[in-house]
Amino acid sequence: MLQVVKAEVLLAGMGEIKTARGAGVLGCIGLGSCVGTLLYNPATASAALAHVMLPEPNGAELIDMPGKYATTAMPALLEALGTSYAGRLKALLIGGAEVFQNRTNTLRIGARNVEKLHYLLQTYRIPIVFEDTGGHYGRSFEFDLTTGQLSLRMVGWNVPNTRSEL
Amino acid sequence: MTTQLSAFRQDALREIGNIGLGGAVTALSDMTGVLFTLEVPEVLELTTSQLHIVCPTEECLMVGTIARVEGDWQGEGAFLFPWESAQVLWRILTGNAPADLGELNELYESVIREVANIMLGNFLTAIAQMTQFELHMEPPAFAADMAAALLSSLMVEALYGQRELLTIETRFSVPDQHFEGFFLYLPDTGSLQKLFDALGI
Repeated sequence: MLQVVKAEVLLAGMGEIKTARGAGVLGCIGLGSCVGTLLYNPATASAALAHVMLPEPNGAELIDMPGKYATTAMPALLEALGTSYAGRLKALLIGGAEVFQNRTNTLRIGARNVEKLHYLLQTYRIPIVFEDTGGHYGRSFEFDLTTGQLSLRMVGWNVPNTRSEL
Repeated sequence: MTTQLSAFRQDALREIGNIGLGGAVTALSDMTGVLFTLEVPEVLELTTSQLHIVCPTEECLMVGTIARVEGDWQGEGAFLFPWESAQVLWRILTGNAPADLGELNELYESVIREVANIMLGNFLTAIAQMTQFELHMEPPAFAADMAAALLSSLMVEALYGQRELLTIETRFSVPDQHFEGFFLYLPDTGSLQKLFDALGI
């Protein structure tokens, strides 16, 4: 019988950045309006993942965790991958949902996060090879560097029928 | 936006939570014939909310509603229950409960929204009596999803700068049954000061 030994998942908590080289699994749990932003270099099998919470900082606050904001996460991810040349990188975006459905007066933070990340990735010319964002359901995911495979987990009530498994 | 509250004001908020939720929990008990008991509210920083104690893993299923409050005191009122507690509540109120998310339907959803309406309505009535505020609540939005997804979404709103970073958090439960529910009031930035002014503290 073949036994599959699962590599330990390196989880990026809110505002955190995690990196891996050569092998390993990166992931996020329970993404609501936050967006798991993963930059992957297939040539070196290295990746950096930020658990982005907000589009940008609010004025003069101290940036204690660059992974917290889309605008500070992008340069931090590139630095983590040891490159300022984004040429070979691919991006994966997961999250940015509005988990409570039909909110009055919503702040649209999930959508704003996604918009800002789209804009930044376009500016850096990094193609998005996978995206599962928006909607009204939470997501967990794992990305395996060795295989380049992403697995998504969604359990929420609002998950549309067409994508209950991936 | 972090607010450093004096111990006196924290006590005042706890008391308000107690009075407001006390009536609400009584209303729930009357409605169901089941005794719900209320714990003393806590005034907590949203980022260190104790909710994780009820839901042991970030992915464990949670049911929740959130409703906008407008008028003289603005913010959001949220109710959160672990899935198993929601099932207890459904059984008490309808005689039945969905076994899993696949069985969750609009009827069960509307039952939870109705409970949220009753409880938030009672809470706001108590606030209005104390402050003479005019308050209006919008219909609640519903979610049944991973605990981390619900809680992180609420926390991020506080960090966005629109809400105070703290909540009035109250736990209510049913003796002899595994039910726990949480009520959180998330005030808009500046609304706490308004409340203290109205109360003269």
